[in-house]
Amino acid sequence: MEYIIVSILNGVVHGLLLFMVSAGLTLIFGMMGVLNFAHAWFYMLGAYVGFTLTRLGGFWIGLLLAPIIAGLAGVLVERYLLRRVHHYGHAHELLLTFGLAFIIEEVIKLFYGDALVNYQMPDYMRFAAFTVFETNYPFYRLFMGAVALGMFAILYLLLTRTRVGIIVRAATYRPSTVEALGHNLPLVFMGIFAGGSALAGLAGAVAGAFYPTGPNMAVDFGTLVFVVVVVGGLGSVVGALIASLMIGLFISFSVGLNISIADFLGLFGLGEWATEIGGLFTLQLSTIANSMPFLLMLLVLLMRPAGLMGDRQ
Amino acid sequence: MNKAPKIVLLLVGLAILTTLPIFLSPNLVNAVIKMMIAALFALAFTLAMGQAGMLSFGHAAYYGVGAFAALHLMRAVEMKLFFFPTPLIPLAGAAIGFLVGIVFGWLATQRIGVYFAMVTLALAELLFTLAPTWNSVFGGESGISTMRAPSWGLSFGHDIHVYYLTLAWFVISAWCMWAFTKTPLGRLALALRDNEHRARFLGFNTHVARTLIFAISCLFTGVAGALLAIANEATNYTIFSAQASANVVLQTFIGGAGTFFGPALGAATMTFFARVTSDLTRSWLLYQGLIFVLVMLFAPEGLGGIVSLHARKLRAAGLRHLVLPYLLCFVVALLLIAGVVFAVESIHVVMTDAYFAKRIAAKGAWVPYQLFGRSFEPLWPGTWAIPIALLSTGALLLPMARRLTASAWLVAIQESLPVAGAAAEATTRQEATA
Repeated sequence: MEYIIVSILNGVVHGLLLFMVSAGLTLIFGMMGVLNFAHAWFYMLGAYVGFTLTRLGGFWIGLLLAPIIAGLAGVLVERYLLRRVHHYGHAHELLLTFGLAFIIEEVIKLFYGDALVNYQMPDYMRFAAFTVFETNYPFYRLFMGAVALGMFAILYLLLTRTRVGIIVRAATYRPSTVEALGHNLPLVFMGIFAGGSALAGLAGAVAGAFYPTGPNMAVDFGTLVFVVVVVGGLGSVVGALIASLMIGLFISFSVGLNISIADFLGLFGLGEWATEIGGLFTLQLSTIANSMPFLLMLLVLLMRPAGLMGDRQ
Repeated sequence: MNKAPKIVLLLVGLAILTTLPIFLSPNLVNAVIKMMIAALFALAFTLAMGQAGMLSFGHAAYYGVGAFAALHLMRAVEMKLFFFPTPLIPLAGAAIGFLVGIVFGWLATQRIGVYFAMVTLALAELLFTLAPTWNSVFGGESGISTMRAPSWGLSFGHDIHVYYLTLAWFVISAWCMWAFTKTPLGRLALALRDNEHRARFLGFNTHVARTLIFAISCLFTGVAGALLAIANEATNYTIFSAQASANVVLQTFIGGAGTFFGPALGAATMTFFARVTSDLTRSWLLYQGLIFVLVMLFAPEGLGGIVSLHARKLRAAGLRHLVLPYLLCFVVALLLIAGVVFAVESIHVVMTDAYFAKRIAAKGAWVPYQLFGRSFEPLWPGTWAIPIALLSTGALLLPMARRLTASAWLVAIQESLPVAGAAAEATTRQEATA
């Protein structure tokens, strides 16, 4: 029982963090068709900006300015790099952002070195929110979850209930019609890209204070955010939320379960045969927990390429 | 008419590669081996990417299985289970690469474009995450290692033997891939890239065709992986990493995916670049990223594209107009590169822990730092005036260089056009045949 409750709690919070990072990408990918490979690196940028500003001014200033700075970086990237290669096609844009990921990571390493930096939450936030089965549950995890939920609510309302949302959604379906109606399409795209990058920056500033902030933080998320976007469905914020929670729970449950295919086959009396063969049959679920998201992504891509909540390819 | 110089060029290149080890130090021989393997990997990758337009983001998977297949075979030989000649071991990489390529390709080619890239990425990540836990096949986190067995009267103890083995496989594989582009399936690859719908309407089973082309690309990738395994005598799960898949994409596009030999050129250059610069500076990945982004922005066809543009559009007569503008471009590039390198390296030195320790020892004073064998004051404006002067001079000259090059190109192209006499001759010949 304890295992289940703690797994659910951790899985949900991890999933919400994943949602914070990938929400921006699903907007960019879904609305502009640009698969921004560097997206997780904006998350990293946000964490380092948060770290720097925490030292200079304070935690909340960092939290406020990190998304703004990440968003501005997004504006520069969209305006001066992506727009130049737009006419070569989406694959070319993907490759450009791919090179950009390298540059962002190396420039950050240039200034902050190869080691982890000591980015910490303020002391008054470091307390246990409640106790589950004698383990203290940190308040900051709940705070991260709350920020992610707030982000989801604002995004959802913005996209479905406001004029800006209508224009943005229309621009994804009929860009030329939107332009003919007098809307500044390049500006809309720049706004989407900047907004998406800003969300990643905010996620970095929030999560970096809890999880380790170091040069590897982007690589660790780099491919996982694609999984969320693909599984959730293009441009669907709701889909991204569901996919993130699924993956978060998936990982947190499988980490603690020591069962293998052989154990499962044992139920039908084939256990010994499977153990003899070894290999894949005896791999424990806990050791392959990291493979699970990719398996999920593969299944979704092959069976329902539009994703869980997507409505087109 | 255009064929003879190309063959001469190839033969000269081959002759250079054959005689090269005599002049090189063992360290450089090893570097050239790695360059050839990278070039082969890039060529194989381009077979899927450049020819058939399948952007694979997980080609390290097939590179890795090729390497592991070769190592398992070498281990079996080492344990005297049976005899297998060392020079033929890449065949194992080819076979496994092809088989895995068929299975993975069958799945991946159901999607196109960015989705195809995602499937290949997922497959490679699956292998990457599975490999460290699957001891019997991938040897866990430490991987597996073995020794090259002597065969055919060669000991394979020396790098020279490995060099010629790699060279032989490189030449054979490159020729096979070039020949493949001339086969009906190879031509179909181009059709699939340009218009898959139309190919399907013409009655081709495009899924099977794409799977086959992908698997053939994986076959040669497996050969490259096996050659790497022979050269290193060991490998582990990191060979499957997204970084490895990324590298070949980078190298191929810097070389130019649109030409046949461009990727090989790019891969060899970038491997050499990495080897040289990674010894000199820790920021070499930054430079590599910058080069890649600049190529993507300003030369989307890559280095090979630039070379072939000159070969196609210009004749020797036109080239002389370009000498001066190109010289100017070269100077501008040097200025800009020097400025960037100076700034990056200075920041790097000032940001290291070692320098920080020195500052603490000097009670927080900004002590001079060492760079390029000289000493610079970090707070003296003159120090930062160096990169600023270099960069601003370069930036000022850049528009001029671009303008001059553009106008020189116009002149050069005009002079390279068929001469009036030749054109008249062509029309009379046409009339005669009519």
